[in-house]
Amino acid sequence: MSAQSENNKSQLHNNISCDALTYEIDGKNILNKISLETTVNRLGVVGRNGSGKSTFVRLLTGLIAPSSGKISINGIDLHKDRKSALREVGILFQNADHQIIFPTVIEEIEFGLKQLGHTKTQANAHALATLELFKKPHWKEAYCAQLSQGQKHLLCLMSIVAMAPKIIILDEPFAGLDIPTKMQLNKYLALYEGSIIHITHDPKDIEDYDTTVWIDEGAIKSLGETKEILPDYLHHMNRLGQSDDITELSR
Amino acid sequence: MERNLTHIALFAALIAALGLIPRIELSFGIPITAQSLGIMLAGTILGAKRGALAVLLFLLLVAIGLPFLAGGRGGLGVFAGPTVGFLLGFPIAAFIIGLIVEKTRIGPIALTATLASIIGGIVVLYIVGIAGLAVKLDKSFADSAKLMYIFIPGDIIKAIIAGIITAAIAKARPASLLSKQ
Amino acid sequence: MISLSSPVKTKAHGWPAGAKLAGLCILSILLIAITSPLIHALFFSVVLFLYLLAGRIFFVSGIKKLFILWPFILIVSLWHLYNGQTAQGITIVLRLLSAVALANLVTMTTKLSDMIDVIHRLAKPLTFIGLKTQALEISIALVIRLTPELIAKGTALSQAWRARSPKRPNWKVVIPFIVVTLDDADHSAEALRARGGIQPTHKE
Ligand SMILES: Nc1ncnc2c1ncn2[C@@H]1O[C@H](COP(=O)(O)OP(=O)(O)OP(=O)(O)O)[C@@H](O)[C@H]1O
Ligand SMILES: [Mg+2]
Repeated sequence: MSAQSENNKSQLHNNISCDALTYEIDGKNILNKISLETTVNRLGVVGRNGSGKSTFVRLLTGLIAPSSGKISINGIDLHKDRKSALREVGILFQNADHQIIFPTVIEEIEFGLKQLGHTKTQANAHALATLELFKKPHWKEAYCAQLSQGQKHLLCLMSIVAMAPKIIILDEPFAGLDIPTKMQLNKYLALYEGSIIHITHDPKDIEDYDTTVWIDEGAIKSLGETKEILPDYLHHMNRLGQSDDITELSR
Repeated sequence: MERNLTHIALFAALIAALGLIPRIELSFGIPITAQSLGIMLAGTILGAKRGALAVLLFLLLVAIGLPFLAGGRGGLGVFAGPTVGFLLGFPIAAFIIGLIVEKTRIGPIALTATLASIIGGIVVLYIVGIAGLAVKLDKSFADSAKLMYIFIPGDIIKAIIAGIITAAIAKARPASLLSKQ
Repeated sequence: MISLSSPVKTKAHGWPAGAKLAGLCILSILLIAITSPLIHALFFSVVLFLYLLAGRIFFVSGIKKLFILWPFILIVSLWHLYNGQTAQGITIVLRLLSAVALANLVTMTTKLSDMIDVIHRLAKPLTFIGLKTQALEISIALVIRLTPELIAKGTALSQAWRARSPKRPNWKVVIPFIVVTLDDADHSAEALRARGGIQPTHKE
């Protein structure tokens, strides 16, 4: 094995580390003393509505600071070190409209690249190359507002992929997309060289992933190989769904 | 920093949108354009500095040719027209409204915001606006002022509405009421 | 987003925006200095001729844009007819028409992107007094991107109101509308932060 691919392989395994990670809003613990240590290549995140998945990945991305405890990726505190954060993680929000900042497709893709320190010309060339990669060169001058919901999601994905972070985090970005669109986006993702962390309510999205973490009521319920966690999770969810107790509705 | 910037930008967009959405009706059935309501709210909700910046950003986009003024007007022409004084008065009004809301520590927020809107959004705005009118039409200040009297009742209603809305926002999104942070 | 730049492409669209704006400034000052109604009439005719050069469609849409001045023109005309100072009245009306028509002409013949470039160039020197050009750039982009979206949300809110009320929506719909706006601001702030935020030292 050459040094080059050796290097790639080590990059594929990014380290996540949490130590008594707690996040509270108005005195209520949304996440409660989470401690974990894992390397990820393809990580699925499952759990009920309101269990704290989004909060967890926002901490992971460094968008918010923990109330107490620590969280780091590859040993870096991403809330403090925003410059490194851009190279470590990129996140796809659930709502593409919350993510798009610029009026046109090309500006949206260029922005992240300029933030990484590329010059205007470099950013433009790279953005065009990304559009080419996704076979959408004709989108260049398109107005984001005029894209369909699925197209907006693809744009967000392209903007993040262009920045080539070591980890891409997906916070249920495919909810509400039609089946072919979702399959295509998953296909693009499968090819991504970096790691992927994917929050989803659809077990199909992550059945090929090596690892899955199940978050429940602000804590880690289990973490391990997907083929072990997922059946257990599904079994549990189905049982809840079949029970007549209305209090089991998501809190 | 990011939060300041996006609030300023979103309020500039809000002022534009308020002038462009299908007219809303006041309780007495008088249709109003809500744009000047947007100016008042920029002050009461964002505070002096951010409110004025939001209005300036809005005017900048109008100047470069976006049809953001009520009725879809915009471009450099509106700054050459007789109502230029009112446009220039907008950011000053937002600043003064914001300043009054920021500095007043007593009384219910609805009342403070209404009074601030009357002082900044009517008294100050009209002084600057009428001065512009006087210059453009080559008339005395007093004569130009006569043209504006009919608009005062509508604007007083807007100031009251601005007060009520500010109080509602203070309840619904206390963390977003930057004028009171 | 539709700007007021004319759909009809003219030769003037190719001219540098900075030069057009500088020309507009000089002519506007000149207009204030001129007092003779005769010269004003001549000036306005030249402006109209410029509109005509760009073709009939352009001319008609340009004239239409001047209609919003009618209340003021009516008032000034009546005033000066009553006073008997007709020459002065003509001067005021023509000056107003020329100033607005000229300014509109620049807007109609300049692309939005060219205007934004001018702003960026004008803003550069201001960095010394602490203006962040990157912040200005992002703000402009955000407003252009989000205004149509806010209008759509406002319209949707009005419709949701009407769907459950026999009356037309009143000012109360403004409250949820502002809540939506404030939440959007928080979302955009997070999106901005997720991609590096406003940087103190920004490379151009
Ligand atoms: N701004 C906030 N203020 C108060 N509570 C909040 C806030 N944001 C989130 N929460 C609470 O934190 C908890 C976790 O929310 P989070 O969004 O992380 O859940 P989630 O697992 O992503 O759920 P979903 O599957 O519905 O997206 C929820 O109980 C929610 O009510
Ligand atoms: Mg979530």
